[in-house]
Amino acid sequence: MSFVNFAKREVQLKIVYYGPGLCGKTTNLQFVHARLGAQSRGNLTSLATSQERTLFFDFMPLVAKAIENFTTRFQLYTVPGQVMYNRTRQLVLRGVDGVVFVADSQWNLMAENVESFKNLEENLRLQGDDLEKIPYVLQYNKRDLPEVAPTHYLDFVLNNRGVRRPRFNAVATEGNGVFETLNMIARLVLHRFVQAHSRQAGAEEELVLV
Amino acid sequence: MALSLMEEDIERLGRTMRNLLERSEADGCLLCDGGGYVLSQEGLEQVDPLLLSALGAGVFAASRELARVLGEDEFSAVFHQGEVRSIFIRAVTADVLLVIIFSRGAHAGLVKHYAAPAVAELKTAFEQVAAREHRVPHRERSFVLTQNGPLFERE
Repeated sequence: MSFVNFAKREVQLKIVYYGPGLCGKTTNLQFVHARLGAQSRGNLTSLATSQERTLFFDFMPLVAKAIENFTTRFQLYTVPGQVMYNRTRQLVLRGVDGVVFVADSQWNLMAENVESFKNLEENLRLQGDDLEKIPYVLQYNKRDLPEVAPTHYLDFVLNNRGVRRPRFNAVATEGNGVFETLNMIARLVLHRFVQAHSRQAGAEEELVLV
Repeated sequence: MALSLMEEDIERLGRTMRNLLERSEADGCLLCDGGGYVLSQEGLEQVDPLLLSALGAGVFAASRELARVLGEDEFSAVFHQGEVRSIFIRAVTADVLLVIIFSRGAHAGLVKHYAAPAVAELKTAFEQVAAREHRVPHRERSFVLTQNGPLFERE
């Protein structure tokens, strides 16, 4: 659920990076933090174990001018991928506006990808959301590794619904596909936000998505 | 659907929060929701409110889980004491939290004491906002996207 502060002319939107353990969620945020101008992003905060595995979440705020007369703040979160931290994933998903599902492209991790994707659907359902109604994109990460499944197979396994969602091949350690993924989910989330408000306000003016 | 706070809402919440700070001698406070959004803030010049909000919501959610483990419905408040600065978090509604930062000079008991009536006022305010949100909103609440290309450029 987004938040609008009319006094500050500010819109806040929440994007969560989801996926199995060690798929590269934190790496995505680290690359964005390293390569985005300081005026557009805040600090990256990681609540991690001593082995640098995400324990609670990573958090990084971004700011953009995307809506007329409003400042748009995106709050980027990752969830801990390890199976045992499901309650934490549920907490981080609260109020989510958009999801990036990061899949590990390696053949031997397909079961983990599928399990994590089902877990995402289930956790959204438990909080009264429906993945079909939430903007999300898929990122097929680690394309540089030798034993990776072809993109069409990953589509077959993870992006097999009636309406296929945007998906990006990525090598997050090198930044390939990271900004493309971020920009797409930001665009989808904004589009949904504007559309929802235009409809609710009963405005007859056409939705502008440029 | 988004939660929307209008200018008059922010002013009303701000009055209550400023009053709380004045009485309790706390340094600053903010209101955030369970998803980590900053709803309103007062007197937090030295702390990043976005981070405080994200972590405060996380801490409080974790404490709810602890309560569940112990067979409690929830802990209504969380208190972390530091050498110099401390933090007190109280639930305002099921989805809104009041986070108060105070220094050694302020008494924790006083902060907790004055937080109670402030929470009651804030709760009333949010209930009225929630009731209003169910009505047809104003026309001014429509939004127009302005960005043509990618929002974020890699440097």
